[in-house]
Amino acid sequence: MSPSNREADVVWKDRKDLTLLNTDQVRLDGPGKVTGHALYSHDIRIPNMVYARLVLVPYSRTKLTKVDVAPAAALAGVVHAEVWDGGKEAVQFLGDDSVVAVVAAETPELAEDAARAVILEFEPEDNPMVTRGQVTANDAPRLRQGRRGGPNVEEDGARGDEEDVLELLATADGVVEQDYSVPIQHHVCLETHGCVVHLEGGKATVYPSTQMVSDSVGMYASMLGLSQRDVRVICQNMGGGFGSKFGAGLEGLAACRVALAVERPVHLMLDRRQEFLMAGNRSGSTQSYHAGASKDGKIVALKATAEKYGGMGGGALPTPPYIYEVKKRYAQVGSVYTAMDANRAMRAPGHPQASFGMESVVDELAYSVGFDPLEFRKLNLDSEVHLRQLDRVALEIGWNEHPNRKEPGKPDADGMAEGIGFGVSQWGAGARPGAHCEVRIEADGSVTSSVAVQDLGTGSRTYVAGIVAEELGLPLHGVTAKIGDSVLPSSVASGGSVTTGSQAPAIQDAAVQARRALEAKLVDAIGGEVDAFTWKNGEVANADGQKLSFRDACALLGGETLTTMGEFQPNLHSGGAHGAQAARVRVDTLTGHVQVLKMVCIQDMGLPLNRAAVRSQINGGMIGALSYGLFEERVLDHDFGFMLSDQLEDYKIAGIQEMPEMVAIIDDDDDFSTTKGVAEATGIPGHSAIANAIYNACGARVRHLPMTPDKVLAALGRS
Amino acid sequence: MKAFEMRLPASLEEAIALLPTAEGDESSRLVAGGQDLLTELKHHLVEPERLVNLKSIPGLAGATWGSDGSLTLGALTTLQDIYEDERIVTTFPALAEAARSVASPQIRAVGTIGGNLNQRPRCWYYRAEEMVCLKKGGRECFSQFGRNKYNAILGAGPSWIVHPSDTAPALVALNASVEIVGPNGKRTSSMQDYFTLPSSGNVLRETTLAPNEVLTRITIPAPAKGSKSTYLKFKERSSYDFAVGAVALNLTLDGRKITAARIVLGAVAPTPWRVEEVEARLIGRDLNDETIELAREGALAGAAPLSENGYKVPLTKGLITRAFRAISRS
Repeated sequence: MSPSNREADVVWKDRKDLTLLNTDQVRLDGPGKVTGHALYSHDIRIPNMVYARLVLVPYSRTKLTKVDVAPAAALAGVVHAEVWDGGKEAVQFLGDDSVVAVVAAETPELAEDAARAVILEFEPEDNPMVTRGQVTANDAPRLRQGRRGGPNVEEDGARGDEEDVLELLATADGVVEQDYSVPIQHHVCLETHGCVVHLEGGKATVYPSTQMVSDSVGMYASMLGLSQRDVRVICQNMGGGFGSKFGAGLEGLAACRVALAVERPVHLMLDRRQEFLMAGNRSGSTQSYHAGASKDGKIVALKATAEKYGGMGGGALPTPPYIYEVKKRYAQVGSVYTAMDANRAMRAPGHPQASFGMESVVDELAYSVGFDPLEFRKLNLDSEVHLRQLDRVALEIGWNEHPNRKEPGKPDADGMAEGIGFGVSQWGAGARPGAHCEVRIEADGSVTSSVAVQDLGTGSRTYVAGIVAEELGLPLHGVTAKIGDSVLPSSVASGGSVTTGSQAPAIQDAAVQARRALEAKLVDAIGGEVDAFTWKNGEVANADGQKLSFRDACALLGGETLTTMGEFQPNLHSGGAHGAQAARVRVDTLTGHVQVLKMVCIQDMGLPLNRAAVRSQINGGMIGALSYGLFEERVLDHDFGFMLSDQLEDYKIAGIQEMPEMVAIIDDDDDFSTTKGVAEATGIPGHSAIANAIYNACGARVRHLPMTPDKVLAALGRS
Repeated sequence: MKAFEMRLPASLEEAIALLPTAEGDESSRLVAGGQDLLTELKHHLVEPERLVNLKSIPGLAGATWGSDGSLTLGALTTLQDIYEDERIVTTFPALAEAARSVASPQIRAVGTIGGNLNQRPRCWYYRAEEMVCLKKGGRECFSQFGRNKYNAILGAGPSWIVHPSDTAPALVALNASVEIVGPNGKRTSSMQDYFTLPSSGNVLRETTLAPNEVLTRITIPAPAKGSKSTYLKFKERSSYDFAVGAVALNLTLDGRKITAARIVLGAVAPTPWRVEEVEARLIGRDLNDETIELAREGALAGAAPLSENGYKVPLTKGLITRAFRAISRS
């Protein structure tokens, strides 16, 4: 849609005039979540509902000889049992293709019994196709067939002149030639994927755990064979998406099919193991760098070859060099396809992977030419914002007082060593057109701000109210936010950190229109000019100081309800987020244990709509990166093509004991005339900073994630 | 999980009568805190028809001190009750530290010492229902040539599991014994002999406990004068994890001179791994860096790592060093 012509005169208030935005606001969804009153898709219960469950073959590639659902169908309480998609002869990869049947029963327990009662007969293929060696073996079949077919290893194409780069490398003062890798990581949404489908009288209400309420309507309508006007999608709270919950997924399709078959409400959520098997992942990668620096601290050349591991997907990795300026580069990136579920978007797709390789190389280059790694970074970054931000995190982490700034430290008598490391981030953020917002004001002073937008737990519900409250001089609770329902004005999907950049301007547009409409009434009542009233503390005043309470101002509406519809206003948002992080770690050189003592992150975001929520986002980014850096890894048995890390005991994520002191800094030097999403940039460089801190502590360069004791001890030369 | 009948016997005799007599018969199982058994049930590793709940039997929980300073723990004493008992903390620090290191506060509040000693392995392959490994009646230990980062480096073969208990190495180090009641009455066993290696015992089990026996009590003799103990557990994830390596150390010192030593390694072998030959070499030596090196190198001398668990050798050596230093400083 085209931007409205209001853009010229709808602006954010000046920073000095803000009383609600740019302050700490308690999230509106907080009390419901901590008391358990908030309902997630998992919690939806509808009278006469049945529980559906998928049946999966556990090995990556098998010949299927039998899928018999009759024993399941015969169990008391089982209402549905079907061979998925009419049956197939083989399972080609671990993931959606593993699904061979779906059952439904009166209770979740009966559904599990039914799923186990399905008789499966299969024979695993000799080559499970889950490693690079397996997919490149001479007799390896092509994993991708048909129209989108291709070889198992595919190059994206090279950029740069390799000969030029090698020539420069030959004369560089410091050279690093090393391999780095990151494993496949999972999103680990606390709430697994799935939905509840309530089909009744030719209409449907669907309760998916989703990152896109508005855009889900068409998908479910199509799967249910209904017109979009007859489908309503509701997601009031969701337990984590991180990029993995856009489409309805096979689980959504299965729920729709069962609902059509049994004509009862259907609840279908993946169990934890299925979540690990078929709910997507962040692709892994191997990255080989050959890089050189001059003794004046500039990166002169870089040759990079990288491979992405995204299962049946191509994976994600920006072409190196990542963020840093390099005089000459040659880069070649490719994809290795394996018989596992395709990677999905996950928090800044490709960037955390690229950050680990690039920040490690940059760090190694700095030490190779005798530079302080902080100063070396600043010499090779283009953005003034990054330079300013690096200085800030260095100050906060105590770099200037740190003893080992140009060479790594040594462990103390007890084998302990402390170090500091750095990393930077950048992310597009920006906006997508399509967000709206309706503001309604009643004569009794009730104000409602409504839009279909979802809240992934990050704070959109709060600013849907907060932006309107700010404009009308009301407290946060003076405005009721309605979100997460497709009958409300449409919004965008939450991906790429665009929700705020897209949605907040539309809310501000609706709020400004509403304010002006009320002001038009006030002109007649107390005199003044539109745009020349002051709205503050629940009162409105004209330029002469004549005041009315907000409620009395609304009474001027008489029997009318004031309704305004806001649209995306491009001038109110911006893109291009920058951040910098520092980590301080303690390494136990006897056991390889790494304790992160402190992390600092600074992030720009334009106008912070809710400082408390933004700091939470920044903390979340640091926590996610710490967990990625130290723990998370998908583990498969390579002979069977069988996932071993399919529970939260085995797929380790950081817990409370792993939490460092965290300092989340909002970059107040940024321009506040626009706003942008803060989410994904915060998760990009934390693990890189930790890796660099480990080296700085004790000279152990860990080049492969996760940085578990086996790898740290190996880097120390102790195993 | 599969539906089961829950029985609440009033006496040990009644409980024992409800248990199967034949080896390999899993139709009836004991349950106390349930923290291991429930996960086995949920993952369909065992599917008993009946659970026999020991909690209905009086007198199986709690600490009793003998007039000689010995401690007897009922098998149903919770881990939390152990480490919150000040006298246990000061008398047997290794046990208190081991109990405190287990899992999470919620699990420690209901998990029992008896259950902790009788828990089953955590090996990835054992815990995956579809993997019919040696421990589950199959023909092969998949970890030997498969993924084995957390598996055994000592005493292993034909199974490479590690014993997951934290309290077991501590109790072996403290020279504890266990009371076991079966259809023919009571028997006692040293804690050390209670555990069996896959090469010498039944590979389907980790202990000498018969299907119709109940571990009822654990007794720890009074500590010798000058004895000091500690348990050091290494968790990859501090918040909540099984051990990747552990050391239980019980030294008796006369000044700096070692007069008795028990060194027991955890999470590196299919049983708590006592290194008696190393202990013997420490007697009469002063507790100093040279002695610590002797202990550390000797304890791991026989290690035979698999493809992915070689790091456990330096890691465990590091823990041994730390344990000795902790006692040296205390």
